[in-house]
Amino acid sequence: MRSVIGDGRVESNGARSLDDRQRSIADAIGHAAHLLPAQGPITTFVHHNTLHAFEGLPFEEALDRAAATFGCHPYLREERYREELDSGRIQIGDLADVLRCDLLDRADENIAGLTTRYELRFAMLRFPLRSGNDAELRWLIDEADALRTFSTDIPTATRQLLRKGTRNWLASTIVDDDDGLNQLAETLKLRMRSGTLDQSDDASWDAPTLEVLWRLCHRGVELVPPMTGPQKPAIRLRDIVRSLTNEDSDALVNDVLIRFCAAFLDQGIARWRLPERDAGFWNAFLALYQNGKPVESWMTDLPAELRRIASAKLSPMDSICESLDMIGITESQLPQFIEETLLALRGWAGMIWQMETNAEWTQYPAPRGTLEAYLAVRLILERLALKHIAKKAKLNTPLRELCHQFSGTGHDATSVGKSLCAFHLFQLAQHLEWTADKLARISVGDWATIIQEMAQFSSRERRRVFHLAYERRYRDQALNAVSSHIRDQAQSRTHTSESRARPAYQVVCCIDEREESFRRHLEEIAPACETFGFAGFFGVAMYYRGVTEARFHPLCPVVVKPKHYIQEDPLSTFEDASRHQAETRRRIGRAAHRVHLGSRTFIGGLFTSLFGAIATMPLVMRILFPRAAARWMHRFGAIVRPGATRLRVERIEDEPGSSEGHIGYSVPEMTGIVGNVLRAMGLTRNIAQLVMFVGHGSSSMNNPHAAAYDCGACGGGCGGPNARAFAQMANDPRVRQRLAAEGLAIPDDTHFVGCSHNTCDDGLTYYDLDRVPVNLREAFSSARNDLHEASRRNAHERCRRFASADFPQSFEAALRHVEGRSADLSQVRPECGHATNALCFVGRRAWSRGLFLDRRAFLTSYDPTTDDERASLLGGLLNAVVPVCAGINLEYFFSYVDSNGYGCGTKLPHNITSLLGVMDGPLSDLRPGLPWQMVEIHDPVRILFLIETAPATLTRILDSAPSIAQLVRHRWVQLATLDPNDASIHLFQNDRFVPLDSSDAPLPTATSSTAWYDGKREHLPFARIAGSHAARRSTEKLR
Amino acid sequence: MNVDEVLQWLGRLVVIPPAILLLVLGLSAIFRRPLNERRVGRLTAGCVMSGLACAAAVLGVMLITGERHVPVEFGHWVVIPEEHFHFHLKLIFDRLSVPFVILSFVLVGTIGAFANRYLHREPGYDRFFVCFAMFLLGMIVASVAGTIETLFLGWELVGLSSALLVAFFHDRSNPVINGLRIWSIYRIADAAFLVAAVVLHRLTGAGDFEGLMGTGAWPLGAAALTSQQALIVGLLLLFAAAGKSALLPFSGWLPRAMEGPTPSSAVFYGALSVHLGAFLLLRVSPILELSGALSATVVVLGLASALFGAMAARVQSDAKTALAFASLTQVGIITAEIGFGLRYIALVHIIGHACLRTLQLLRAPSMLHDYHRIENAIGDHLPEGSSGIPGWIPRVGQSSIYRFSFERGHLDAMLDRFIVSPFVAIFRLCDEWEQHWTDFLTGGPSREFSARTTTTETAEEP
Repeated sequence: MRSVIGDGRVESNGARSLDDRQRSIADAIGHAAHLLPAQGPITTFVHHNTLHAFEGLPFEEALDRAAATFGCHPYLREERYREELDSGRIQIGDLADVLRCDLLDRADENIAGLTTRYELRFAMLRFPLRSGNDAELRWLIDEADALRTFSTDIPTATRQLLRKGTRNWLASTIVDDDDGLNQLAETLKLRMRSGTLDQSDDASWDAPTLEVLWRLCHRGVELVPPMTGPQKPAIRLRDIVRSLTNEDSDALVNDVLIRFCAAFLDQGIARWRLPERDAGFWNAFLALYQNGKPVESWMTDLPAELRRIASAKLSPMDSICESLDMIGITESQLPQFIEETLLALRGWAGMIWQMETNAEWTQYPAPRGTLEAYLAVRLILERLALKHIAKKAKLNTPLRELCHQFSGTGHDATSVGKSLCAFHLFQLAQHLEWTADKLARISVGDWATIIQEMAQFSSRERRRVFHLAYERRYRDQALNAVSSHIRDQAQSRTHTSESRARPAYQVVCCIDEREESFRRHLEEIAPACETFGFAGFFGVAMYYRGVTEARFHPLCPVVVKPKHYIQEDPLSTFEDASRHQAETRRRIGRAAHRVHLGSRTFIGGLFTSLFGAIATMPLVMRILFPRAAARWMHRFGAIVRPGATRLRVERIEDEPGSSEGHIGYSVPEMTGIVGNVLRAMGLTRNIAQLVMFVGHGSSSMNNPHAAAYDCGACGGGCGGPNARAFAQMANDPRVRQRLAAEGLAIPDDTHFVGCSHNTCDDGLTYYDLDRVPVNLREAFSSARNDLHEASRRNAHERCRRFASADFPQSFEAALRHVEGRSADLSQVRPECGHATNALCFVGRRAWSRGLFLDRRAFLTSYDPTTDDERASLLGGLLNAVVPVCAGINLEYFFSYVDSNGYGCGTKLPHNITSLLGVMDGPLSDLRPGLPWQMVEIHDPVRILFLIETAPATLTRILDSAPSIAQLVRHRWVQLATLDPNDASIHLFQNDRFVPLDSSDAPLPTATSSTAWYDGKREHLPFARIAGSHAARRSTEKLR
Repeated sequence: MNVDEVLQWLGRLVVIPPAILLLVLGLSAIFRRPLNERRVGRLTAGCVMSGLACAAAVLGVMLITGERHVPVEFGHWVVIPEEHFHFHLKLIFDRLSVPFVILSFVLVGTIGAFANRYLHREPGYDRFFVCFAMFLLGMIVASVAGTIETLFLGWELVGLSSALLVAFFHDRSNPVINGLRIWSIYRIADAAFLVAAVVLHRLTGAGDFEGLMGTGAWPLGAAALTSQQALIVGLLLLFAAAGKSALLPFSGWLPRAMEGPTPSSAVFYGALSVHLGAFLLLRVSPILELSGALSATVVVLGLASALFGAMAARVQSDAKTALAFASLTQVGIITAEIGFGLRYIALVHIIGHACLRTLQLLRAPSMLHDYHRIENAIGDHLPEGSSGIPGWIPRVGQSSIYRFSFERGHLDAMLDRFIVSPFVAIFRLCDEWEQHWTDFLTGGPSREFSARTTTTETAEEP
């Protein structure tokens, strides 16, 4: 009886500790999963902060932590910043200011009686210190002229001082404890006596001076005991074994795992599906690998091991516990170990996690627990591989002892560290005028202080300061430009009183920074029009199905889960024809699919390739004449595409849904959408006769990242249908009636038109034109001409950024060029996407109209004068705009800063895998992030929001919106306000708004946008575009 | 100038433009005076077009005059009579080489235009085009080669440029490892080729295909060898062809070659390079006729490779690897066709397959878009990829078939374990002995360079 109770207690204890262990493992997995890349299937590309997991930390700290976790660069390389310093992009004054702000009262602390901390750091920023490994340093010192002549950036006065110091040192030298130095002093004195070294001959003193300085620095470093930094002990056995044997177990393990993960997650590339795929990752792996005899010697034991696991019916979690015990991972090492293990193949692990948690809409999502199963499999493979490697290297210790025995092993880097440190000191001594006599008097403690100070201002720290100065320059320019532009406007307004005449027409675009130039050109062409910006889904959050599409897909920001469905139908008149077309499409589709699969098989391939020579025609055509080929294909495609369609916008039944009758919105819902959008933009009075809503998307060829170019506010889709639906709602008389009752009167003669702008080929598509009233036809066609002209000019402005387009002579040629780009199979840069984005304006267009923003600013329309006391409109806008713009901006930032680490490197070797993502070549980790070709011209600065409101109002909004507040307070974005009353600008710094002391420098003026940008490739400064009439004349010749 | 002279000149002009291209691009790279992208594009287009025009003209003249065999002499380049050594450059234009030359020009030229935009602003742009020119020259020389040493010259140029292009992204380790692997397999295949050439010379006194295969124009020639001799030479050549065309047991390198930029994968492995082995077999097809055993071997090897390729292609879940194995399937079939003596069909098959696969590989990044379009047209999810393995096979069998295909027939693993590892082990052993010996002689550690270094120095801390 007692023994039973006793046993039971023991067992329950054991079970509890096992439970605890499993819980902490599950926690660790959950924690590590957040660090994995959060990019889902590539077909719906959603821009998000690459370091989203670190958003809870201040920006700089997060970058540091992420750099340590992922082994990526937090900032640009130091040489790059120095180049920017030389080119003037970073101003030396900014650098000094930033450094002072960074150090605050620590700036002027004295360092070893030689200098202040500020001066030391400033010198380290200003002067590039040559570095190198041991051999390079030896060469620099022994062979090159480092000890013979001063480097060219040392001014003459400094040289003289240093020479004098050396003579003083010689004169006063007491017997030093360093033999080399004494010897040197003796030699120099001898040479002086013999006359080869003349007091008055300055040049001859260079070499002795430098040599003495070098010896002194070297001795100084030698005096100080070596500093051992906090070295992170290796926790993964793989790292330990690799440092012992030079063999990487990950190479073996990844090879198996990559192929298995790809087969498991495959959405339809492989013809044969993975056996037992439906039974989950764990069972599929067990089933596939427990039979047969692997040829690879490291996998010899795998089948037996898997059979044992299968017969013991171990769950993935049991297996993880077991593996951890075998490797000898203690409780305290657990979180870090699991994190590092999952990050070893982070692209695939991340995709598994995404497919498990966030991809129920795909054809084959992964069941819950797949990441756990992945970890279990990985650990089994790892321990087998490690055992094999250890055995081969004759390390005959069990794995778990190996871990304890060698976990401290790291290589000894002190000798390299010491000479490098001495060499840096030597260079700094020259720049900072540390003369020999000064250095000779320094105590050991002081040497230690200097060395420590230098070590503290590491490369990463220097780059951080550089980066702050880099960002500051652009921020100052932008804010000064706005304030100067507003001043100019105020002056010119005194001459011509502002007219509040009804605008010719109004155009509402997406806030996307690519539409900035489109709007600017349009305003130049048609000064009587007005433009607005609103997030490109125009309030219509919906699932949409086009007439030729198979399924509904969401068109709204990713954070919104739409409830409504809208479908495109063929007009009733053409229904029969449309049915035939649909049938033809289906047949062509099936045939295409059969050919596609067939060409890879034995017999099918035989037939297709016997007739394969026919493929030469389209191949050669599409590569040599992409634009013509695309037009021809389009014409052919039109045969099976219904010509006239309409949207089913209005719902009959009560509940929204995707089935017949439930599709669409009710009239009150439509009223809500139209009213909200118009009010948010401040478009509640002075509404023109014609209001165009322009959504946007992008079309490109051969581009796995195509979705990343589409409208971010539509979750990586094209916003055209949203614009079309909005226009249809706003044209509904019942909607207008209800709005009028709410006090928002849309004039009866106003008509809304939906439109879509292709940001790649700059084409414009208009919807439902036959509904335009007769009396507006003329007004519409003239507006359409303006829009067309604006899109041609937009193409022209975009061409300046393409190195392969040499500044087209006419707008028409530019349009042809971008059309060709969009249809070109070989084009890896169909457009520049969001590259260079840096600003977001929230406010009335009036104060930014006429300002050249170089396609770098998101423009959100908001009218503070129509908002209520609590600024509830603004609050709603910011909740949507800030996370979206910050996501885009930060993704570009990180993909640019470390293209191979955070981005996905160059596009050229990319290989579509499992229809989910891309690998480099045939076998690599999945590559999330943006490709280099997409971010190539980006300027990595954190986005600056300039919001037209009072600082107090914005503070209130921040207090009530924690998600925005976190981004702002932790400095992931920059924030400034423009006061609607007195146009003063406040910048958010150190948790409060500080007024900007703007400079009075006038803005440069150009007659037209074209005149300002033509012939230039680089980022352009801000400019004021003068009167649009003048603009028209000057660009006439380009037509 | 009579027709013959015109043909002679045209024949030379087919080879000269690619040589000029390689010379110009190569020299500009050596002297670090890179041409700008536009010039490279124009130069490539010009050279390809002029070569293509000459090849077409040769074809035209041959069709009009009814001439079926045009030899073009470049003479003996090296002659050492005492050693019975001579290096004889000679081109042949016949029904095999002319279509192959035209195919090479068309595909390589198209890829050149593609790559000129695709590699725009890429750091390795110049390097790519030097390899590209080398490949073009190699391909053309191999196609029109009239002697086995000429063929070998072209063959080597193709091999070298291919391996370099696989390792194009040399800042990552995988491309370099795979490039080296392919290079090794090529070298082994080349060794077989070289031995075959030597044997041929021994047997016939010259490497001239004419002397070897009788005087008839392709494919009607008859070789002057005994059946036994044909078998030996033929097997050696088959070995060489298998290495180049990734037939069994060398198939493992084909997917590995997808490391390079998309256009190079397309032209080199999808289209031309992989067919070079089949071309070699076509060229020496008269030998095949002499030995039934040899023909049978060719057929079996071809069919086995095709079957293997078809199985492996069905389980690959990435675009380029799937295409690589699909290519292998067709190359296997082509090889079998050659074994069966269906030479014209094999030729048509090569041309069709090369064009089709090039287009498919160039469009590989469009796969998502294509699937989406097909889905929309059909109006539903793609028809489910049914397990496809015939149902009558028991489950365990299905699993083994899947596993076999999934592991790509364990080919690379077997090469590694049973050939590479013992080979390396023997040399390591010798090395160890040597070290013991030198240590003993010096009375201490004698080789500091063999001490392992585990640290990799990075330029800047991340």
